[in-house]
Amino acid sequence: MKKYTQTSGEIGDFSQLPIWQKYAWVDLLYVSYGLLIVALVLVSYMFGMLHWLPYDPQQINMDMLMAPPFSQGYWLGTDFMGRDIQSRLIMGIQAYFLPGLLAVSISLLAGVMLGILSGYLGGKIETVITYITNLIDSFPRLVLILLVVAAFKPDIYYIMMVMGITGIPAVATAIANKIRFLAQKNFIEAAIALGLRTRAIILKHILWYNCRALLIIQATLGMGEAILLETSLSYLGFGVQEPVASWGNMVQSGANYFLQGNFWPSTAPALAILFTILGFNLLGDGLNNILEDRRGR
Amino acid sequence: MAVLATQPLLKIENLRTYFYARSKHSFIRAVDGVSLEVGHSETVGVVGESGSGKSIAAMSVMGLISNGPGVIGGSIRFTGRRVQRDLLEGLDKFVNVKERHGRVMVVNKDEAGWQKASERQMKNLRGKEIAMIFQNPRASLNPYITVGEQLTEAVQLHTLYKTRKEASDRALYWLEQVKIDSPRLRFNSYPADLSGGMCQRAMIAMALSSEPALLIADEPTTGLDATIQSKIVNLLEELKSETGISTLLISHDISVISRLADRVAVMYGGAVVEYGQSKLVLGEDASIKHPYTAALLASVPSEQQIRDKASLQTIEGDVLDTINVPAGCRFYARCNQITPEINEKCASHHPELREISPGHQVRCWRFSN
Repeated sequence: MKKYTQTSGEIGDFSQLPIWQKYAWVDLLYVSYGLLIVALVLVSYMFGMLHWLPYDPQQINMDMLMAPPFSQGYWLGTDFMGRDIQSRLIMGIQAYFLPGLLAVSISLLAGVMLGILSGYLGGKIETVITYITNLIDSFPRLVLILLVVAAFKPDIYYIMMVMGITGIPAVATAIANKIRFLAQKNFIEAAIALGLRTRAIILKHILWYNCRALLIIQATLGMGEAILLETSLSYLGFGVQEPVASWGNMVQSGANYFLQGNFWPSTAPALAILFTILGFNLLGDGLNNILEDRRGR
Repeated sequence: MAVLATQPLLKIENLRTYFYARSKHSFIRAVDGVSLEVGHSETVGVVGESGSGKSIAAMSVMGLISNGPGVIGGSIRFTGRRVQRDLLEGLDKFVNVKERHGRVMVVNKDEAGWQKASERQMKNLRGKEIAMIFQNPRASLNPYITVGEQLTEAVQLHTLYKTRKEASDRALYWLEQVKIDSPRLRFNSYPADLSGGMCQRAMIAMALSSEPALLIADEPTTGLDATIQSKIVNLLEELKSETGISTLLISHDISVISRLADRVAVMYGGAVVEYGQSKLVLGEDASIKHPYTAALLASVPSEQQIRDKASLQTIEGDVLDTINVPAGCRFYARCNQITPEINEKCASHHPELREISPGHQVRCWRFSN
């Protein structure tokens, strides 16, 4: 059943409604959960950077191997070497946070620039850019990453740079298509007739107002993907190496003891991965719905 | 200011805008030698069937033609209070036209160079001195930006109201000027939340906000329902008497033209076939009219016809195919006033625009004596 309510006797002014009446509660829930996760990740990252941790994440305590949660000051228990899982989870954010941002910014910045060039200028430049993006697209991402790992060293920044570059085609194609599509629209012609500069039209009318939802989605999905890639590679031993903490290698080292009944050391980082990626993806989804809501027809 | 007294605000001379039909390897002569004048504080109506080149002529003035070859010749002289300029000055060096038997056969155009030079000529003019409103107002507003925001942007760009507060106050003032109901509410609305008529009012507000010398209204009432159409026409009428703005009004609706225009140009097949005072061109006397104008007027049902439920008069035949333009008069195939004496001339020679009484020009062999 659908409910329609008018909030006052006057004609409703949408912009003055309280936020919870403007948008669907599901979207608001998604966004608030996503924002909560992002804030948590951000604060934890700061704490890790400043080493404001309950324990040194490398500190081995032979008296407390595989301690369950809530035991003697170890809130989330310890792993097979008696290291504090909470501290290691917080330090694990260091493994993906900056590299993930790097990957996302590479794909967004380069993608937007190539997209504008190819969508606006067209012609030969568009052909060249299409060749480049197709070339990047036709390479399997994991093979490329393994090549880089083999050629240089298993450094997470190298891996994330590859991830950023392989993310360029999706953004560039989306932006170029959007520009090509909008350029035929009457309101862009009207904006030109109004005397607006080309730069203002592309940056403000097309990119900011018509593409920001798309960019936000790409950014949040990209960040989620970066976390997933980092943890998977670290799980496989290509990414962050022991003893430096990463959620991926924590799952891996804990998994050896999973069947012996000590499921906690691997389940905790696995849940962290799950909820974090979920948070980023839902944030993008919710923001997309809220921002796209006003486009009308 | 002597220039202002003698020169009309906008003087289009021999404007030619061609397109190219790739599949037929021939030119589409959308606008073929149009000459028009818009005086200061004058409204000139351009009337004609769809495909007669009205809109393309207006877009050429604004420099909005993006398909090739586009504008290939002519001059568009703008003589405003602040700017006096030929919009096509110095652009002919980018075009090389080869004609045979008075007909364009080859056009070489450096389109990038033309575009760049044209942008330079249009600087400080487009949107500021010459504003344009389009048909289908809703599509002319960016659906993602509130109406107020778009208006504010236009005000900030072209007027001295530069700060956000001043500009948005001014934008609100213009929304009130175009008599939109509850302007403060519409200010924060998105175009999708407004009706078509309200969108057109917002577009008019946006066009007028820079206080331009010339307003080009390209079918401003098309796509609106009949009552809204008449309200928009009333609004344009009021704004005209209040601000004294010059208007180039393009419409295929003769009733709109007759209510607003001081002078009327009738276009057919990319050329002006009749040009003169609104009273004369749209008046009763068919003997001093171009046959096309007479036929157009006859196809508007009179009240008597409506009462009698008489069938509508139509003009026989189709609108001129601007690809295969005949050598003779362009209206020859559909004309019902050809007499045996002039038949040969009509079929073989294109008539010139000839003055038959002061300020009234007709392009027809009937008036060639």
